[in-house]
Amino acid sequence: MFSERILKRFTDPKYAGGLRGANGTGKSGESSSGDLIKIYILVNDENVITDAKFKAYGGVCTIAACDVACGLIEGRSLEAALRTNYYQILEEMGQVPSNREYTAALAEEAIKNAIEDFYKKKEKEIKSKK
Amino acid sequence: MSKKVYLDYASTTYVSNEVLNEMMPCFNAFYGNSNSLHSFGREASSIVDRARDRIKHAIGAKKSNEIYFTSGGTEANNWAIRGLAHAYSEKGKHIIVSEIEHKSLLDSCAALEAEGYEISYLPVDKHGLVKLGELIHLIRKDTILVSIMAVNNEIGTIQNIKAIAKIAHDYGVIFHTDAAQALGALKLNVEDMEIDAMSITAHKIYGAKGVGALYVKEGVRIENLIYGGSQERGKRGGTLNVPAIAGFGKAVEIANRDVVVNQQKLRNVREYFVKNVTERIDYVTVNGHPLQKVNGILSMTFEMVDKESLLMLLDIEGVAVSAGSACTANSTLQSHVLKAIGLEDEMANSTIRFSFGKNTTKADLDYAIDALVKAVEKLRSISALTKAGRR
Repeated sequence: MFSERILKRFTDPKYAGGLRGANGTGKSGESSSGDLIKIYILVNDENVITDAKFKAYGGVCTIAACDVACGLIEGRSLEAALRTNYYQILEEMGQVPSNREYTAALAEEAIKNAIEDFYKKKEKEIKSKK
Repeated sequence: MSKKVYLDYASTTYVSNEVLNEMMPCFNAFYGNSNSLHSFGREASSIVDRARDRIKHAIGAKKSNEIYFTSGGTEANNWAIRGLAHAYSEKGKHIIVSEIEHKSLLDSCAALEAEGYEISYLPVDKHGLVKLGELIHLIRKDTILVSIMAVNNEIGTIQNIKAIAKIAHDYGVIFHTDAAQALGALKLNVEDMEIDAMSITAHKIYGAKGVGALYVKEGVRIENLIYGGSQERGKRGGTLNVPAIAGFGKAVEIANRDVVVNQQKLRNVREYFVKNVTERIDYVTVNGHPLQKVNGILSMTFEMVDKESLLMLLDIEGVAVSAGSACTANSTLQSHVLKAIGLEDEMANSTIRFSFGKNTTKADLDYAIDALVKAVEKLRSISALTKAGRR
């Protein structure tokens, strides 16, 4: 049912867990519908995501999609990370059952929300300094 | 993967040696068509007769010709619902079933709805017991059939079949029960329990897949299912699967013989499993009725953990369990049974079914429990849900 690639990501996710000092957090999904994702990012002064982690309540593909998504944005600028879309995530995941393709979209949404959260926090910081 | 542990007996069992021994000669020694007149045919026919007799005795039927062989429980359920509905349509077009029936029964009802029949769904309480009081309210003048499963396949709750049958009969309504999970787990007696029609299957009781039966009490009318042969008294044509039927007869006989011993064993298995799992894992609940249940089926909710992820991690360790029932596990839809007993979506999504059988050993359980503890810990450590705000 699931490809080796997805199972590898699922059983041995590189980016699973919390992230100390994260300055951006993005959520997507609903636990009542079976998937809840949180992506944490740590952005440096040059606006580059130096670290990305996730926590997820969801199925095999949800966890795999989060892991892939974090891998795609880590080390990239916010601008580049914002351009990450679910096609890229799907491609990186390999063969995804059609009824699980939505997991890539959820991961994309969480990335966007994390970056938005980072900008909001930054804005607040700047305002409070003024 | 070193060890393999099968905890999915409610999906299907292996074929036991006793059953296999009964089946083997039918493949190459007694291979006649049971419908043929010559000696080969008569030999096969007597094997089928013996199987029918064994089933008759085991379920307490009056006559062996009240038992019709089918391809399994799904066919028996389809036939029962649609066949009885069509046979009694002049009396009315209203049918009552419970909310927690097997998909094969619910989908047959949906097909009837499309034909203009009206179906009422009887609710269940939080333990999965149908509300008898509501049944009385649902019965109408045009009600022709009540169908309630004897044992639920996801949570193992046992219904008060005799009481339900009595109520149906008080109002002159026919009663059918899907006993696929009950056979071998309970003593069944169709006469005593006042059952008019009952679906059973072989592959849940160490028989072969692809064979089952529908019991139809003498005098109860049912529409023919398959045309084109005189088999099964013309109601279900087609050459009989003699080896599978021979094995089915044996399997039913054994299941009936060992029912008490097996349940006692399964009770110990279940209690050991539940005790160890709940001691070692927090935020776990057992679903179903605390007492009125079969011991082989165990539904457990592991909060903050997704059922599919848990199932896969266990599978990787060689432990086979099921998310809900095998018949619906491939869909991402929530279980209608867990919904009916009032489980919230998030809880239902964290629920898996363990089912035990004759070959389940203590070593199997210990191995499975260790794998379960590890898997739940792993998934909770990365879960986006937290314990905050929970019990």
